[in-house]
Amino acid sequence: MTTAATPALDPITFAVVKSALDTIVDDMAFTVMRTARSPIVRDVLDYSTTLCDADGQIVAQAKTVALHLGAVPDAIEEVLRLYRDDMNPGDVVIMNDPYAGGMHLPDIFMFMPIFFKDRLQGFSVVVAHHCDMGGRVPGSNASDSTEIYQEGLRIPPLKLFDRGRKNTTLFQLIEKNVRVPDLVVGDLEAQLATCRIGEREFVRLFEKYGEADMKRYVAALLDYAETVTRQAIREWPKGTYRFTDHIDGDGFSDKPIPIQVAITVGDGELTVDYAGSSPQVRGAINSTFSFCKSATYLSVRCVLGRQVPNNSGVFRCIKVSAPKGSVLNPELPAPVAARALTGYRVVDAMLGCLGQIVPTRVVAACEGGNTVVCIGGWDKQTREPFILVDMINGAWGGRATKDGIEGVTNPSQNMSNMPVETLEARYPVRIEEYGYLPDTCGAGEHRGGVGLVRQYRLLAEEATLQLRSDRHTHKPYGIQGGGPASGNRNILNPDRNTRELPAKVTMTMNRGDVIRHEQSGGGGYGDPLRRDLALVARDVANGKISPAYARERHGVVMDPSGAKVDHGATEKLRASMRQAAE
Amino acid sequence: MAAAMKIETGRGARIGVDIGGTFTDLVLLDAGGQVHVLKISSTPAKPEEAVVEGVRRILAKAGIAPDAVDEVLHGTTVGSNTLLERKGAATGLLTTKGFRDVLEIGRVRTPELFDLAWDKPDPLVERRHRLEIRERIAADGSIITPLEEGDVVAAGRNLLDQGITSLALCFLNSYRNPAHEQRAAALLARDLPQLAVTTSTDVLPEAKEYERTSTAVVNAYVVPVMRTYLQRLVEGLAKIGLKAPLLVVNSNGGLATGATAQAKPVFFISSGPAAGVVGAASLGSVAKEPDLVVFDMGGTTAKASLVQGGRISRTNEYEFRAGISTPSRFIKAGGFMMKVPSVDVAEVGSGAGSMAHVDEGGLLHVGPVSAGADPGPACYGIGGDQPTVTDANVVLGYLDPVALAGGTLKLKPELARQAIERVLCGKLKLSVEDAAYGIREVVNANMARAIRAVTVERGVDPRDFTLIAFGGSGPVHACDLARTLGIRRVLFPNLPGVFTALGMLASDVERPFVRAYPRLLAEIDIAEVNAIYAALRDEAQAALKAEGFADREIRFQAEIDLRYKGQDSELSIAVEPPLKGDVLAKLRDAFVAEYRSIYQYASEGAVEVAALRLTGLGVRPSKVDFRAIRIVGDTPPSAGEHRRKVYFNRETGWVDTPVVARSALKQAAAGPLVIESVDTTIVVPPGATAAPDATGNIVVSL
Repeated sequence: MTTAATPALDPITFAVVKSALDTIVDDMAFTVMRTARSPIVRDVLDYSTTLCDADGQIVAQAKTVALHLGAVPDAIEEVLRLYRDDMNPGDVVIMNDPYAGGMHLPDIFMFMPIFFKDRLQGFSVVVAHHCDMGGRVPGSNASDSTEIYQEGLRIPPLKLFDRGRKNTTLFQLIEKNVRVPDLVVGDLEAQLATCRIGEREFVRLFEKYGEADMKRYVAALLDYAETVTRQAIREWPKGTYRFTDHIDGDGFSDKPIPIQVAITVGDGELTVDYAGSSPQVRGAINSTFSFCKSATYLSVRCVLGRQVPNNSGVFRCIKVSAPKGSVLNPELPAPVAARALTGYRVVDAMLGCLGQIVPTRVVAACEGGNTVVCIGGWDKQTREPFILVDMINGAWGGRATKDGIEGVTNPSQNMSNMPVETLEARYPVRIEEYGYLPDTCGAGEHRGGVGLVRQYRLLAEEATLQLRSDRHTHKPYGIQGGGPASGNRNILNPDRNTRELPAKVTMTMNRGDVIRHEQSGGGGYGDPLRRDLALVARDVANGKISPAYARERHGVVMDPSGAKVDHGATEKLRASMRQAAE
Repeated sequence: MAAAMKIETGRGARIGVDIGGTFTDLVLLDAGGQVHVLKISSTPAKPEEAVVEGVRRILAKAGIAPDAVDEVLHGTTVGSNTLLERKGAATGLLTTKGFRDVLEIGRVRTPELFDLAWDKPDPLVERRHRLEIRERIAADGSIITPLEEGDVVAAGRNLLDQGITSLALCFLNSYRNPAHEQRAAALLARDLPQLAVTTSTDVLPEAKEYERTSTAVVNAYVVPVMRTYLQRLVEGLAKIGLKAPLLVVNSNGGLATGATAQAKPVFFISSGPAAGVVGAASLGSVAKEPDLVVFDMGGTTAKASLVQGGRISRTNEYEFRAGISTPSRFIKAGGFMMKVPSVDVAEVGSGAGSMAHVDEGGLLHVGPVSAGADPGPACYGIGGDQPTVTDANVVLGYLDPVALAGGTLKLKPELARQAIERVLCGKLKLSVEDAAYGIREVVNANMARAIRAVTVERGVDPRDFTLIAFGGSGPVHACDLARTLGIRRVLFPNLPGVFTALGMLASDVERPFVRAYPRLLAEIDIAEVNAIYAALRDEAQAALKAEGFADREIRFQAEIDLRYKGQDSELSIAVEPPLKGDVLAKLRDAFVAEYRSIYQYASEGAVEVAALRLTGLGVRPSKVDFRAIRIVGDTPPSAGEHRRKVYFNRETGWVDTPVVARSALKQAAAGPLVIESVDTTIVVPPGATAAPDATGNIVVSL
């Protein structure tokens, strides 16, 4: 904050400091990728790296999992509550407790306090999804637990290092409670290395610009984010807007779970209330409130301009509330392992609601969030336990001026896919298909992206499969007249004794069993009968939609060769479809 | 235009050629130690024509017989232009059944968070041209489903019927067993020889199907264009009597044979820019300038890269994209992925030929469309009628109408004024001078983005660096750019207008060889490892001898790629084969030390080997030595000190400015000042000081 008493900020230094912070967190992200051991971290990139100021305000976050963004300040608040007066150089604090600022047990937060001139200046933070945290199901991610105590080892904020001294008790406790201790400890080491890189580089900035100036520039960066966010919101029509989306069920019951949101646009600020959303449920899709806030912030971020910095200044303009004891603010001992799913639905509800406020800035519903496939067991050949944690995504909904992207991360994260060759070299699993699935998109003037299919064959004797998906019955919605997408499907053994599986599965697989996930595409944007004929023809030629889909959804008739549009027949068909719709 | 200067004696004549979008630059280093320079207009439709004509002319001027040339070194933008303009071959792709979409799905990330307006680039091969083949190889290399040979030929025919001319083959797990890819390629060569075929394992025998597929596809897309170009070039050079081999600069700044460039053009996409950076780094080491921002502005694009502590910034993965093209270490999205070693260069579509226009909203834009050499800027008077950056520079007095390109190009300032007036002044409601100044400001801002991409955006403060400026137009803009970025020191090398071509004469030949060797370090068989290194060494030696190197000119660098068990990224540790019995503990210690220095910690876990590497270096005995370059005859046509009016900014307006020949600048002089040489013009703004240094450079302090 600049006052008359402080010298004005130098615009070049401001730009350099901002970019330097962004570069440090990206360097941190790069370090995790280079040093991690488990494919869920090093290939799928389910982690995030952050720098915070001494109050726990985020000053920069890497282009990693966006959904982690809002959870970090709550977690630091808890760390500061416990250790504010006992924080020293060389300390490292870890935690994963969802009821102390965490998200779910596999996500271990690591905080390294950063000191300059013996004063606390900030924190280097790495959140990583560990491939196992113990508990009743390999991967610690099951949807069908009923208490958090079944989900694995719960770690409150504890010092992993105290003034540089390793806490061997804590290390041993973790090692004895997880199925793959080498990978978990290896990934903890990667987090540690990354925190140190963040610390070293942050301190270098203090050395270069001095403590007083660095603090001014960091504060100015947060203020800048707040200012531009408020400016953007001031352009929006004032009022209260509502939207409700649903989760298919909690894995025990098929009763739909409503996520209801009301956004009130005020003078440069938003109030977001989730009253009316479902009470907490028996299965493990309950989302902690910190995670609900995260999903809310990121949804708003998606409709702001790209120039808004990725820091806590944005949060100051958004007030979030969710009833205690609801699925978005659960109480002990509610299980939360599969909470990401609920986060995705919060984003869908938020974007549906924001679509009424800024219709050209949103997308129709995306695929519904990633599908998690965990296959874990004992590999007799290598005589070692294995846990494959794979994530499938995705497709975006159609947009105001163009189609939704396909083969893309859900906008809530920025995850990657595990290369098939990496997966097969590492696990007793073979991937039999990975590609687009035609006709899975929602139709529209701008269609949704088409969905993906991924098919796994188990090569080991036996394994536990844990699969989390949704959007089987409540399909990704279309907007402005666009149609819904296909919805997800899970299929066991498509080649023999085929069986359709529910959205959330925990079961035993035997050698040769095949599990096939057909993921939904994204919803459509605008009237499908207005879709450009050349685009329809191109989609048919590329096998992204069938001639039947072109006829039924877009009213487009292809000639018998399938290569060209039959214009006369198309005009007639579209006219009769329009008439029928009126 | 030609100039000559004296350098240390070498053995035979060598020619460096750099093709830009506007000019083709040639540098000839003769057996007597003279450097001759020639700059001629490029011929974009058939770039080889300008090269052949340029070689003919420079030989004639230097009085050297064509068969006295030892070698021709070449940097080419053919690869990058093909991708940028998307005018490569109609390309098809054959994949394993079930994996048709690997290329288009990619790694599913986005370059930014929260950007719902992002566009994923269309793949180079449309889905209808990606066909599946029944075959399957397991992760251990064993065959699960034998290759269905009929599928291969049928797919090839199908694609041929659809107009496909070049094909990439990428089968799953082929990096463990390339048999199916090789067999399929043989079948296609037998039955459909008219198809150009790239097998993925031939360009990148490494795991990860997307990276390998994409690299192979880029190669297939560029192969026919590069092949046609290089074949015509070799034929053209032979026709004028050259017997020397053609060497091409690769994206990593090393040299390789023309045959390699024809077969694997994916390694040569940023061929030209890499040579300039190698030259800059090597000049930097002589001039004691280890920290450089390298800035190269030509007619069509501007490029920036970084030399830090004397080390060229390099990368193993490169994504080519429109707008700003910059390699990324972390984000994989938004471009055409190539997993090949490259010099880290950011490039923007702004150059001296960039055309200016005003959009509907009244905003002035400059580029990315370039007038190039034909029709050229309006002031060339050869058909161009759109205002360009060069036109602005002429109007503002930076460029002497008779001095450009050593006087071979006579400029017509009145045509420049007319174009600016007709196209811009009405819409902008500005005078000709102010509109011209606007063009300069806009293009400078565009070019600053390239420099920011390699400095500020990586947290590197450009103010700690010296800017080295070259390219035909770099020196005209460098001081303004430096001021924008807070850089206080700008270095102008000798022959900045042809510096990239000169840089090639400073390169060595480099041939990398690699063999996968996945196992725990503790379990390696030392005899087997030594046998592999010996085999790699034989391969490298044979390859370099085939390129004409004598044994005494050949060096080897061996490395072993190590990582902790379970990791995906390796560190390359230098070794000196043959390895001895006690090497295991030493290797582990070396790895742990290196790992600790990078990541600030070391683990107790097991260390594993990923691959064995060996690089053969062909050391050029007559590399150009920058210390030895001395200007002999460098007098621009408008010789002798004089003055002209130059427009530096709106506040000062026109300033009466001294103009001097570069060779006449013997001591420090204060700006405003224009320094002219045969190949470029250095603009020194008011308040700056220019001085020659001990190695022939001019250094400007801002």
